[in-house]
Amino acid sequence: MNILLRKVGGSMSQKPSIGVFICHCGGNISDTVDVARVKETIGSIDQVKVAETFEYVCSNPGQEMIKKAVKEQGLDRAVVASCSPRMHLDTFRQVVKSAGMNPYFLEMVNIREQCSWVHDDKAKATNKAIALVRAAVQRARYLEPLTPKNLKVTESVLVIGGGIAGIYSALELADKGYQVYLVERNPSIGGHMSQLSKVFPTFDCSACILTPKMVSVAHHPNIKIFTSAEPIAVGGSSGNFEVKIRVKPRYVDLKKCIVCGECAKKCPVKKPSSFEENLVQEKAIYVPFKQAIPNASVIDKDYCLYLTRGVCGICEKFCKGEAINFKQEDELMDLKVGAIIVSTGYSLMDPKLVGQYGFGLHPDIITNLQFERLMLQGLHKPSTGEVPKKVAFILCVGSRTTTAEGCAYCCKIGCMTAIKQALLLNKTVPEAEPWIFYTDIRAHGKGYEEFYAKAREHFTTFVRGRPAEVVREGNSLIVKAEDTLLGKHIEEPFDMVVLSPALVPNKGAKELADMLGIDLGPDGFFLEVHHKLRGVETKREGIYVAGTAQGPKDVRETTMESMATASKVATFLGKGEISVSPEVAYLIPKRCDLCGTCIDQCPTRAIKKGKNEVIIDPISCIGCGICVPICPKEAIDLKNTTEEQLIAQIKGIAEGEETALRIIAFVEKMTAYGSADLGGQSRRSYSPEVRILRVPSIARLGIKHVLHAFAAGADGVIFVEGDDSVFREDKLRERVIHFKKDLGKFGIQSLRLQSTTTTLPQYEKMLTLFDDFVERVKKMGPITREKREEVKKYLEGDKIVA
Amino acid sequence: MSHEKDKLFAEAKTPQPVTREESRRDFLKEVMNMQGGEKILECIQCGSCAGGCPTRFAMDYSPMQIIKMINLGMKEKVLSSSTIWVCSSCYTCATRCPRDVSFATLMMSLRNKAIRENLVKNGAKLNFHKYFFEVVNKYGRLHEPELLVKLLDKTDFRSLRSNASLGLRLFKKGKLQIRAPKIKQTSWLCTILEKTNEKESQ
Repeated sequence: MNILLRKVGGSMSQKPSIGVFICHCGGNISDTVDVARVKETIGSIDQVKVAETFEYVCSNPGQEMIKKAVKEQGLDRAVVASCSPRMHLDTFRQVVKSAGMNPYFLEMVNIREQCSWVHDDKAKATNKAIALVRAAVQRARYLEPLTPKNLKVTESVLVIGGGIAGIYSALELADKGYQVYLVERNPSIGGHMSQLSKVFPTFDCSACILTPKMVSVAHHPNIKIFTSAEPIAVGGSSGNFEVKIRVKPRYVDLKKCIVCGECAKKCPVKKPSSFEENLVQEKAIYVPFKQAIPNASVIDKDYCLYLTRGVCGICEKFCKGEAINFKQEDELMDLKVGAIIVSTGYSLMDPKLVGQYGFGLHPDIITNLQFERLMLQGLHKPSTGEVPKKVAFILCVGSRTTTAEGCAYCCKIGCMTAIKQALLLNKTVPEAEPWIFYTDIRAHGKGYEEFYAKAREHFTTFVRGRPAEVVREGNSLIVKAEDTLLGKHIEEPFDMVVLSPALVPNKGAKELADMLGIDLGPDGFFLEVHHKLRGVETKREGIYVAGTAQGPKDVRETTMESMATASKVATFLGKGEISVSPEVAYLIPKRCDLCGTCIDQCPTRAIKKGKNEVIIDPISCIGCGICVPICPKEAIDLKNTTEEQLIAQIKGIAEGEETALRIIAFVEKMTAYGSADLGGQSRRSYSPEVRILRVPSIARLGIKHVLHAFAAGADGVIFVEGDDSVFREDKLRERVIHFKKDLGKFGIQSLRLQSTTTTLPQYEKMLTLFDDFVERVKKMGPITREKREEVKKYLEGDKIVA
Repeated sequence: MSHEKDKLFAEAKTPQPVTREESRRDFLKEVMNMQGGEKILECIQCGSCAGGCPTRFAMDYSPMQIIKMINLGMKEKVLSSSTIWVCSSCYTCATRCPRDVSFATLMMSLRNKAIRENLVKNGAKLNFHKYFFEVVNKYGRLHEPELLVKLLDKTDFRSLRSNASLGLRLFKKGKLQIRAPKIKQTSWLCTILEKTNEKESQ
């Protein structure tokens, strides 16, 4: 990283008069911090017009005091030193707003959770409080008036994926009155559920519960279905997305086709049916399945003779309704939507990757989805057409596998599916003998354990052990396994072997995530914001996830989650408008040379390249500030954490007596700061030398800020980033390594800089690190005055260190 | 090289009692530091190693049982088991293991450990490994007839006679070569083995 310089200064208002209000918090603060001394010291700073202490500043009389001071003394900045801004920032912003001041002219100092509650030494705590308040006062000089933006949202929703998850969310939202666009990649909606026979644990006929919903979707006035379609570009911002979708040609006019089937009778080309999981052949012009929505024929362009070789065209001649149209082309459509639901579902992992089970080498080794189709076709062995008597179900094929080709997670439906299929097999063929080879049976839902018991009562043989291999011997398939409970080797012949492959994200998930600017988890499924509390929201506001796109799920969980997703979307759109924080990055066009470094780095894709300019979308921007220090021309700045404000604050916090050790901890404002607050609430005492400075994200900081800290008097710098931040741990580490190298050029030991990440409840880890770091810096001793001068000189631009 | 190994083999014949009381975790951690033992805690006891093991019939404990026993800290039983000597290092278990446990590699480490700890039960198998190394050291690769002769030397004449017909059949099919195959630089291999040995004994 280049160390570049820019002269600071300019935007300070002429001479702002600042009011400082220090809270006793009924002794919570004043017992440990000498508030009178704080008031005295701060009151002597230039431009501080009012310095007051009060028993409870947040109480009604306290608020009145601030309002009165603002009005009568003509204050144009206010600093409140009390509890955490997480607690009362909004309260005090409202107070100053009602007194006629811009709410962003208020600055809060946390001298309770991060000072009085965590320190015992009164003198040291007071010194720290003074430093914190001084930093806020210095920063307050440079504050700018800001106003949140309110934008109207488009009251329509795009649902990507028309499986059960998409269908359910679409219906729920359409019933609430929103316009829904349901986009499905295949020629019919319905997804995997339309392929299933019966569903556990109640043996409902899958089609009987799904198809009425599909019909409702087709007839709903608020839903528009696009089949054979995919989104290809997503623009706009939360609440007002602009989506481009491509509808692939079907070569059959939906309105004219009456599904008479004449075309398929005459078509000379056969291909494996994907709906039947390649178990049967169908014609190149086909109806996806009987209850398909939209119910019309479709031509497979990879097989059709007319489309591949320009001959044939028989279907066109025989179609009485003249529905066939070979001239159809890709159709592009623009949709304006307020929110997007990702319900793209799953695929089965290719069982060929687990070579020892011989999938693909013998027709009677099938997947559980193929078994579902066989149940509906009339159960038979694909090889001979006989009824199978002895069937082996092998679970965890590729699941719970940490090798490169497998999936580490549990597929969640394999156990119950195998149990269901074993029971169905017994129902169809009473003398049949189902064997289930399992590693652990996971029957975790309502009624599932009872279902498992039922299978045992029906004499299903359960063998605990993952089979080693399946080999062919004559007409039967031998499964070799270890019965791990007996410690005995088994070799059993079977008529048919059913594998339960792992569930993997549907293909194209990565491309879609990139297009939408949302994250995939390590398993490749779409990542929710919070595992428990925000389970259907993605990191980008207005984009939600439903069903197996988020992770393996059964039908029951999927429908429930889809309704939760619909509810979240309705809440988002129902407000009618979206308030956008003004704390966003902005461009200084004069300096920008269109290099585009920032564009790739932006985690939410808020930065775009225009014709002759770079555009930062203030609505998509989440204000992390990652673009600010990486800009080689320093052409970007962040509102409410501008360069001037930040440097003034750093200088303010680092000042103090020469002899005392000073450590500045830059702490990410949400998770990490909250974690430090939590430490305060638990009264976890730590070294008072550590002074916490709240930043939007560590990503906002450049080497310059670290140098400023050292120049102004800091002896050590700590970075604490939130674990869930957009600035991931690896990036943080990478940047810190750069900083350490840069510090070396000034002869400042790299050990004076430390970084860590924390989750909210992990304050113990963070605070222990604070203590250890202080001990380490104590041993190293303070930085010499000469060195500080050298850095200062460099920062003033007098000297460049090679 | 051979001195070092010889010493180990010689010591193995005079069993010494293990005096120190060890806890369950001690042995587990020790195994985790061995080659092949790194991922032992990943094991979910699925049994695909045992199900496919071609020499399972001759083992007193199955591979997955060995892993469980390591987990339970059953040091003596693991190191004196026949399993670790019967393993033919075919790597079927390691290839199929869904949790990436390199069982066959671990078996080799456990053999070394068993020798060091004097917990080898079956002397004859120990001899096999000893002679195997002697032959490999000599030629740089295995020469079966010499290995067989070395092994049979130690046992009685009757078995030699009964094995002769088998040897003849193998010879007719060209499976046994009279002249020992030799690699160009036997010394290089010896150096490699010596270095490995040094590292092992650290």
